[in-house]
Amino acid sequence: VDIPPNPSDATLVEERRPTPALPFLGRAPEAFMRLVFREDRFFLVLSVFIGIFAGLSVVCFRFAIAWCRIYLLGSGATLTPLRMVLAPSLAGLFIAVLVIHVFPLARGSGVNQTKAALYIYNGYIPLRTAVGKFITAALAIGSGHSLGPEDPSLQIGASLASALGRRMRLSRDRMRLIAPVGAAAGLAAAFNAPISAVLFVIEEVIGRWTAGILGSVVLSAVSSVVVMRWFLGSESMFRIPAVQMERPSELIAYSVLGIVGGLASVAFSSGIATLRPWCKALPRWTQYFQPAIAGLLIGIIAVLGAPQVMGAGYVYIDEAMHGQFTWQMLAILAGLKIIATLLSFVSGTPGGMFAPTLFIGAMLGAAVGGAEHVLFPHLSGSPGTYALVGMGVLFAGFLRAPMTSVFMVLEVSGNYSIILPVLIANTFAYLISRGLQPTAIFDVLTRQDGLELPSMEEQREEGTLRVEDAMRPASRAVLDTVLEAHDSLDQVLQRWDAKLPEVRLVRLDPTGWSIITRQALEIMVKEGKGNLTLGSALSGRQILFLHPDNPLETALRYVDRWPLLPVVNRADFRKLEGVISQQDVLQRYQLFGEEEGTPE
Amino acid sequence: MPEQEGNAQATAGNKRDFRRYLRREAVILALLSALAVIFFVAVTALSHIYEAQQEFLGNRWFLRGAADLKQSHFESAVTEFRAALLYARDSYTYQLNLAEALVGLKRTAEAYAYFINLWDREPENGLVNLELARIAAQKGETEQALRYYHNAIYATWPGDQQVQRRDTRLELIEYLLNIDAKAHAQAELIALAANLEDDPVQQSRVGDLFLQAQDYEHALGEYRLSLKAEPHDPTALAGAGFSAFQLGRYSLAESYLQAAVSANPNDAQSAARLRTAALVMQMDPFQRQISVALRDRIVLKAFAAAGQRLESCSSAGAAKGPATIPVAQPGLTEEWAKMEPRITELGLRRDPDLVNTAMELVFSIERQTSNACGAASETDAALLLIARLHESN
Repeated sequence: VDIPPNPSDATLVEERRPTPALPFLGRAPEAFMRLVFREDRFFLVLSVFIGIFAGLSVVCFRFAIAWCRIYLLGSGATLTPLRMVLAPSLAGLFIAVLVIHVFPLARGSGVNQTKAALYIYNGYIPLRTAVGKFITAALAIGSGHSLGPEDPSLQIGASLASALGRRMRLSRDRMRLIAPVGAAAGLAAAFNAPISAVLFVIEEVIGRWTAGILGSVVLSAVSSVVVMRWFLGSESMFRIPAVQMERPSELIAYSVLGIVGGLASVAFSSGIATLRPWCKALPRWTQYFQPAIAGLLIGIIAVLGAPQVMGAGYVYIDEAMHGQFTWQMLAILAGLKIIATLLSFVSGTPGGMFAPTLFIGAMLGAAVGGAEHVLFPHLSGSPGTYALVGMGVLFAGFLRAPMTSVFMVLEVSGNYSIILPVLIANTFAYLISRGLQPTAIFDVLTRQDGLELPSMEEQREEGTLRVEDAMRPASRAVLDTVLEAHDSLDQVLQRWDAKLPEVRLVRLDPTGWSIITRQALEIMVKEGKGNLTLGSALSGRQILFLHPDNPLETALRYVDRWPLLPVVNRADFRKLEGVISQQDVLQRYQLFGEEEGTPE
Repeated sequence: MPEQEGNAQATAGNKRDFRRYLRREAVILALLSALAVIFFVAVTALSHIYEAQQEFLGNRWFLRGAADLKQSHFESAVTEFRAALLYARDSYTYQLNLAEALVGLKRTAEAYAYFINLWDREPENGLVNLELARIAAQKGETEQALRYYHNAIYATWPGDQQVQRRDTRLELIEYLLNIDAKAHAQAELIALAANLEDDPVQQSRVGDLFLQAQDYEHALGEYRLSLKAEPHDPTALAGAGFSAFQLGRYSLAESYLQAAVSANPNDAQSAARLRTAALVMQMDPFQRQISVALRDRIVLKAFAAAGQRLESCSSAGAAKGPATIPVAQPGLTEEWAKMEPRITELGLRRDPDLVNTAMELVFSIERQTSNACGAASETDAALLLIARLHESN
């Protein structure tokens, strides 16, 4: 098989010898510029700038939330009832007007909008979205709506990155990736947790690991966190309590937390899945009042004795971690926060669900821990440990990001000894949530918005077809058709009767494979090459071979170039495990489609 | 040929594009850097405004809280310190004050959570250790309480470290005495006394604590030191008198108690002890430097007092019922009655050994009747003390 030369090689050869732009300096400056400004390298440099700009934006966003809180709710720890009711209601009204008339894209999940930019809009997110998200989310969170700053930060980062990418006139592939790079930067700065942000973006937005993507995402996340820490300090979001687990049997207690967390996650996501379409289906004029009504109801909850549900609630997570609530109060707060967040989110108020998820998880964790302590006083886990594990549990169960959930807790706590409880509890929560609510919350939201974005969870769960699933195994009948390199062409032609297939594999020495058709053999014999061996006749005509564990997609790339491909053992390339043809591959895919059912 | 020309043109075009790309990217990089610097400066300015406001609000709430804490308005102090912490979440001072206010509100669990966090941050902080020790003591966690008290004693304190450490040790000693750990308390008291300054009040206080710990020797020493500076301090005099009394040094006790009663005539306890001490001095036949005649008279008096004591105890026992009469008492009555004819001045003079025999019987009677019938007359109490004194000798 002849491999044609790459047509672009000639161009490249020319480009390797450019005329120096500055003759007196020789070729050095141009070589340096080439080194730096190759698009993939320049993209890495750009990622650092994206991180810096996203970090600066997130810092400003944090200031804006704090100022909104001070001026709308007051500067004290105890809020006046009037402010608790009026601030979220009036802010809700104003936000609704802004969202409907000025920033329509500010509504909705930043994660999904970043995914949409990646998969649908070639990386395009309007800069106006960042501005809208900044203003409306700061107002909403600062006025006491039960939402968090992380998702808006993610979207602000993605939007800034997209705007920057457009100015750079990057290639389409880079443009698609630039939004997730910005998203990672925004999320990392908001969480003060670069590892979790990188993992989340890879796990939930991009869905694949490559060196190029990872490099850009890591660089942007790290640079944004550095900027954020420069201005706001490097303290973690909570005062981390001492984490301890004296006996392995205590893992049972954490498993119970995982189960409770899984059920709470299902209740939370089912609430959103049910109420959000219902709210969207209401007449358009009601959209002006939905955030205000949500704000009013949250204010009433606060006035009735649970002001902790207002805003992101990090202060109260911190207090819960340090045993400042009874377990009954913690359980009530977890329930009320679910209701408050449902109200805020389904009403279309811009803001994220990360912080409420952490709040609910922390309260639920500390409540379960507290109740278990009452029943089994010998348990050594502190409320803080249970709260930390609880945060991971809700992250795994509600946001369905199992890897991120584990690393988030590790990164936030800075304590490796918490890993076993987190792993156990998160696994239970994830499995229960997945079992009871098959579609992950981000996928539910995209489908409600009429988009069909790839589901990262479904992709992870998707069965992969391999070559071994489609190949014809190396049975006696197959092996009998294989020709050896030392056979002469005459001998082979004499033995090739009509019952044998038209195409046969040839095993070459020392390794390698080729194929020959009866027609080609006859031509060669007619040309007087009958006394040549197959090995010498077919030298330079080697074909690719596959291994049984190769993905079937790999086979699909080559089966149209050769009628038959050998599938060989990884330890011994001369040992045939089976053969595969285009027909085998297509048949297997057809069968797979019938097994899985036609996708919607 | 045309194909070759076309290729050459394309190559030249590519070169131009590439150079343009290089120039453009370099300019963009420079612009981005400039933009980043500008934004950085702008956010820095904004950050200064933000931090100043946060600091102002934090301070404002803290000062209100501190004022309320001073006036023991713990509820409002807690709210205000919490508000202050909204603006400086990691402020050690704010957290410490909040924890103090929570202690004031008796919300020990919450206070403990704050203190333990503060302890993690500064394990050498004296106040935090002291508060943790108090909480542990309240919870009955003796081991933890002792650990935190000791940490507090050796911790760093603001202001006068010596005074703070001394006060902490004093508090620890009181705690130890409360839980009846007298030996441990004595050890702490010895350490405390070694580092005590020449302050008669403190010395007298330490003497009191030594008394409570039943270390009378050290107590007497501390009172003596205190009395060097304040010779007429009635408390120290009474303490020294009581210590000497407990040590069986009745002559010394008598002089201190005499001075104590003179200094404070209302001190009934010292007056009673003084009488007992005087009686002990009068009733002890084994004192040195007394004449034989006086010794014999003391023995006669003591023997008669023991007989009366025996009789009164027997009748009181009979009134209460046979179960209360001591088993040994009938034997003692018989023994006393048998000896009684021999205990005369003449008998004692003829047989000097009879003094010892008689007094042994007296001591036995006083001991047994004291166990069976409880408190006795001052003479009996004196005889009992003499018995104990000679028992130990």
